[in-house]
Amino acid sequence: MSTSQPGVVAILGLRSFVGRELALRLSSGPPGLRILGLDLRRPLGLDERVRFHRIDLTEPRADTTLAAILEKQRVEALVHAAFRTDPTPDHERDHELDAIGSLRVMNACAAAKVRRLVVASTTMGYGPHPDNPNYLTEEHPLRGHPGAHAVRDRIEMERLLGDWRVQHPDVEVSVLRACWAIGPAFWNRIVRYLSLPVVPLPIGYDPLIQLVHEQDLLDAFERALLTSHAGVFNVVGSGVLPVSTLFRIAGQRTLPLPSLLLDRLSSPWQSQSGDPPAAFFDYLRYLWVADGRRGWDAFGEPAYSTKEAWISFVSSRRMRRYR
Amino acid sequence: MNRDGDLMRPLSGDDPARIAARAALADLRREIRGRFTRAPVPVRSAVPRVSLPAAWERGFDQLRERLATFGMHERSAEIDEFGMDAEALRALRPLLDFVFDRFWRVRVGGIDGLPERGPYLLVANAAGILPYDALMIAHAVERARGERPRFAVADWLITLPFVQPRLARLGGVRACRENVERLLEARCSVAVFPEGVKGAAKPFRDRYRLARFGRGGVVRLAVECGVPIVPVGVVGAEEAHPILYKMAAPARALGLPFVPVTPTFPWFGPLGALPLPSQWVIRFGEPISYADLAPDAARDALLLSRLTEELRAQIQSLVDAGLRTRATVWSLAPGQASAGAPSERTG
Repeated sequence: MSTSQPGVVAILGLRSFVGRELALRLSSGPPGLRILGLDLRRPLGLDERVRFHRIDLTEPRADTTLAAILEKQRVEALVHAAFRTDPTPDHERDHELDAIGSLRVMNACAAAKVRRLVVASTTMGYGPHPDNPNYLTEEHPLRGHPGAHAVRDRIEMERLLGDWRVQHPDVEVSVLRACWAIGPAFWNRIVRYLSLPVVPLPIGYDPLIQLVHEQDLLDAFERALLTSHAGVFNVVGSGVLPVSTLFRIAGQRTLPLPSLLLDRLSSPWQSQSGDPPAAFFDYLRYLWVADGRRGWDAFGEPAYSTKEAWISFVSSRRMRRYR
Repeated sequence: MNRDGDLMRPLSGDDPARIAARAALADLRREIRGRFTRAPVPVRSAVPRVSLPAAWERGFDQLRERLATFGMHERSAEIDEFGMDAEALRALRPLLDFVFDRFWRVRVGGIDGLPERGPYLLVANAAGILPYDALMIAHAVERARGERPRFAVADWLITLPFVQPRLARLGGVRACRENVERLLEARCSVAVFPEGVKGAAKPFRDRYRLARFGRGGVVRLAVECGVPIVPVGVVGAEEAHPILYKMAAPARALGLPFVPVTPTFPWFGPLGALPLPSQWVIRFGEPISYADLAPDAARDALLLSRLTEELRAQIQSLVDAGLRTRATVWSLAPGQASAGAPSERTG
């Protein structure tokens, strides 16, 4: 096991936000580095330093294909970010990609003797629970939410990865559990919800929320890939804010509703994921704030606090209207 | 005139060019001012000028400012890592002062024995349903020491809709080991109520008999974190919300441990949640230090249970002493009210 910088890195999930931005950063980074990008389809405007290979992780033979590519290119470190950005109603396919696809990635890494594996996970895995302590450390069990299938898949992935790590102790595995990311470029359904002009909220609750700025998230991924940081890390911004304060800072109106009405109102939006509305809104009812101290020690203090990240997002949104 | 002075400053000097420029500027300013003073005259003649008292004008200015930042005035955009909001507390201080001094007329005893600096664990008898007692203890400590201790709140209460956001702003955290440990690490004192739900749900006749202290976690926490324990006896909180009867069926439906029936609740609806003006006594005991224990004392279950029992007896005696200073539920004993009050009071 060495702490030196790898010569060849592979980015799995090149079209995801983390994959795309990380490839961009690395291609303008150290000159000796060879970058491999893998995804289902070739992204537009690909940097010429990034070598693209097509891979479909939902195929049963994906592990063999991937192992052959990794071995041929002598990949030393791999970032696994090939997860669904947003959950879809096709739960089985989501599961096939997020959980089983990750298993295929692990097996391919073992066969190709990749010595460093960085996996993207989420602090949503801890789950919103009334009996959570205010700050969840990395040792806290991943309880998830019974209704959120994408979170459930990610937890299964982490369980598989834990088993796999025991069998392959010579591979440096870092799991980066990120909280909700926000910033000028990052976009997913949660960000879309947070930027609604009138935000429906569960009435009577106002939990503390933490956010991580996209640049801090990418910093963590870059450092985990280029230097040795084995272990599980929460990647979060510093500080917390009550949900309602977020919207007051942004000048958005909130619409607090009892759960019956909220479920009705949000069902068209929520049906995009095929989960019950509580699978999302419980994250705005109960605490699920993660303790970021271990991640900050490893990857450096975040440049943005939760409030600063939010303000950065809100001010970029103002600009977006005029683009 | 203030602004004029600011404008003049960079030009001051004996240089003739500067003096000429200053004169030209003064001319220009006079001309501009001359044009603008004429403008409001027709307006003033059309609408009779209403002169308001200065206090009113200030009030209107404040109102306009509040409307411009609607929803932000009673809270700060920055809260601490457990959700306590200094802005909200500052806004609530007059109300807390009123409740402390006038409504419950809280008699504080033994607060001089409190350690100068935190962190320490305040261990009190759980009294009442809503954590008024925790608020009053925090208020008494803040007045005496300037530092506001946090308080631990039972699970079912801290996740109750509408109650949860407010409690967090006031410094309440969920009563669990991780939270208290983290707060003590951050050198923040915490008030805990180890009787838990059992304490809040006691029948009225047993209101001042302390229930079992959980599983002895409080003393172990103090030993492990190396902080002293300050026993606190609270008298009066029980009568602020006397529980006549506990309803089980609606409690199951709502996911609560019990729904209380008090003389005012649920008959008066939400108004019934308002407490009665009983006479309160809060007595602080001598701090108990566990620093001289053996390093592996935290794993000695028998020692811990003995220490927990001692602590419980101490709080019980504080409560009993507090009860003796009251003549009735609503008033102090005659000698206590006059003689002891000024010396024992903390202002």
